[in-house]
Amino acid sequence: MTSASIADSVKEKKTTALSSDLIGTLAIAVLGGAAYVVFPDDLGLLTRILAAAFFVLSLCLVTGICGIATLGHAVMYGAGAYAAGYFCVQGLTDPIALIVVGAMAGAVMGAVSGAIILRTSGLPQLVLSIALVQLMHAAANKASSITGGSDGLIGISPAPVLGLFAFDFYGRTAYLFGLVLLVCVFAVLQRLVRSPFGLLCRGIMQDRVRVAAMGVSVYPVLIRMYTISGAVAGIGGALIAIATGVVGLDSVSFAWSAEALVMLVLGGASSLYGALIGTVVFMTFEHFVSAASPFHWLAIVGALLIAVVLFLPKGLQSFPARFLVKLRGGRRDHSS
Amino acid sequence: MNWKGIFLAFAAALMVPSGASADTIKVGIVGPFAGPFALAGKNFKLGIDAYRALNGEKVGGKIDVEFIYRDTGGPNPAKAKALAQELIVKDKVDYLGGVYFTPNAMAIAPLLEPSKTALVVFNAATSAITQRSPYIVRTSFTMWQNTVPMAKVASAMGLKKIITTVTDYGPGIDAEKAFKKTFESLGGSVPESIRMPVKTTDFSPIMQRIRDSGADAVFAFLPSGPPTLAYTKSFIDNGLRDQGIKLLTTGDVTHEPDLPALGERALGIRSTYHYSLAHESPENEKFLAKVKEIAGTLDEVNMCAVGAFDGMHVIYKMIEATDGKRDPDKAIAAAKSLDWKSPRGPVRIDPQTRHIRQNIYLREVAKKNGKLINKEIQIFADQPDSGLAPTQ
Repeated sequence: MTSASIADSVKEKKTTALSSDLIGTLAIAVLGGAAYVVFPDDLGLLTRILAAAFFVLSLCLVTGICGIATLGHAVMYGAGAYAAGYFCVQGLTDPIALIVVGAMAGAVMGAVSGAIILRTSGLPQLVLSIALVQLMHAAANKASSITGGSDGLIGISPAPVLGLFAFDFYGRTAYLFGLVLLVCVFAVLQRLVRSPFGLLCRGIMQDRVRVAAMGVSVYPVLIRMYTISGAVAGIGGALIAIATGVVGLDSVSFAWSAEALVMLVLGGASSLYGALIGTVVFMTFEHFVSAASPFHWLAIVGALLIAVVLFLPKGLQSFPARFLVKLRGGRRDHSS
Repeated sequence: MNWKGIFLAFAAALMVPSGASADTIKVGIVGPFAGPFALAGKNFKLGIDAYRALNGEKVGGKIDVEFIYRDTGGPNPAKAKALAQELIVKDKVDYLGGVYFTPNAMAIAPLLEPSKTALVVFNAATSAITQRSPYIVRTSFTMWQNTVPMAKVASAMGLKKIITTVTDYGPGIDAEKAFKKTFESLGGSVPESIRMPVKTTDFSPIMQRIRDSGADAVFAFLPSGPPTLAYTKSFIDNGLRDQGIKLLTTGDVTHEPDLPALGERALGIRSTYHYSLAHESPENEKFLAKVKEIAGTLDEVNMCAVGAFDGMHVIYKMIEATDGKRDPDKAIAAAKSLDWKSPRGPVRIDPQTRHIRQNIYLREVAKKNGKLINKEIQIFADQPDSGLAPTQ
């Protein structure tokens, strides 16, 4: 193969990657738009799913791509939510500005908490991340003059988006606003994951020592990714603060961090699509089951999780692939 | 699926039947029905079921009422708001009820005015809640309402110097402020206010501080459950009671489901609260008999059941006043002038605050027929919510 043809094939690969990214992003926009039309009465739930999607995507960036173990990811989500809420109460009511504030707060929290937990890896890292989220939870409770403590931060009433679209009680504006944000952020993240930086992160996950031996300084790379992840989580937090109008301590809780991890594992940790699928499936399932059986639904959700972990260890996103393999005659490709 | 199929699916989705027939009123109940706070949700349902069993499934013998339960889990404003939104928009409920946690109530409040839906809060006890929307009525209590009488009792007992110890979260801080303000205005002094972290399990250092301060008494608020047990045990085991230091609390510390675990050592603890299972009245007897019939036991019954029971009364009266039509302004106006005999005693809705005015009782843990009860020994009649928006 000549060097020209190699260059060609690389180029071709790039363009197919680009176009598949584009299709993916478009698909999200179309599905999101369709959900708006088909389920006009469920926009509250759908908006919560959007906010959770940001959060799980953000977790996917560090856990699925970099292999960082964390059960304290809500510190960034909470930072975004409280920052957006606080600024809104103080008078900065433009929703787009609030999203930027949330992203920045999340990024700062990501950089700071990343600097701490990335010093270690594996089990100590997990424990540190839990300690961090518990500390932030306690701090948010203590600083009740700013956060409202356990009563919640109230009085968040954002101005109309672009001065045109006011937030209504059906949640239409909030949902569409969130959907547009998600599509934009998803497109950026896809590029990020495919970029040399993203590949480097995957490399670190697979063999940290080897990457270090290649002359890469691992720690700063991970902190950069953690900061980006913080910004994404912060956007999710800011979105839910804007949509709900109240920020509670649950947004910086261990439980929320763990739930995100469950959604990520459910969908498949190593891909952004997996993160989205996991979020949508988990939250929709939870919603239906809890409506059908408000007193016993937790047990049913538990059973689903056990089933997925047992039968689809790579998450729901691996289901179509496995299904296809079965159709083709039972050859299994474990490396997929 | 072909295009025709997709189109049909669309059309079907858009043609969701718009509400049931006019003589069915729908009531959406949001509360913690599963998970760690399920006891409260269980009590909501008990209160509702008991009310319906005693007063008929149909309002005024003709209007059907349908209940839709939704689980909010713990304090989770985003989820609570989404659920309330769905109940209003999709299930087209006429009334909302329930709500255990303050942030959840705060998140639901902005939905009520644009959608013209009345909400009856069965529990969430921060004073400011009823101010968040003119469509909120509350049938529970507030920390101020329950705490102010205790400060008065302390003053009447001749106590001069009292330390407050509260759990460090919203309701605790409310209790601390209410006690301190009232007690100081009556000439007492509160030299130290200790806020205990939410997950404290070892209270010995706090007991040491109380002892060192030389206070006559200590006022305590902790959320009902295991911490109250550990606190009370620590108070006695560290010898504070033997030293003559008095323990004053709100009824949360001597919550009936916790009393068996506290055991004999709880005897004599004084608390102020709006409801005691041992309240002596025909209404309470009837209520408890029905609850026992439904649940099989009274061991898990607490004030949430009464909050829900009275909440149902308000909802039934609102339905009656509007004759089953959806007219929330008329319904709220009717609710404002309600007064009735609740299992907890005479109560009425304050037309200004839309919060319940009620007797607050000074009680003492006593033994009756081998069972520990909160025996009422003094009544503070017709108490308002005296803590409007101290902090948010």
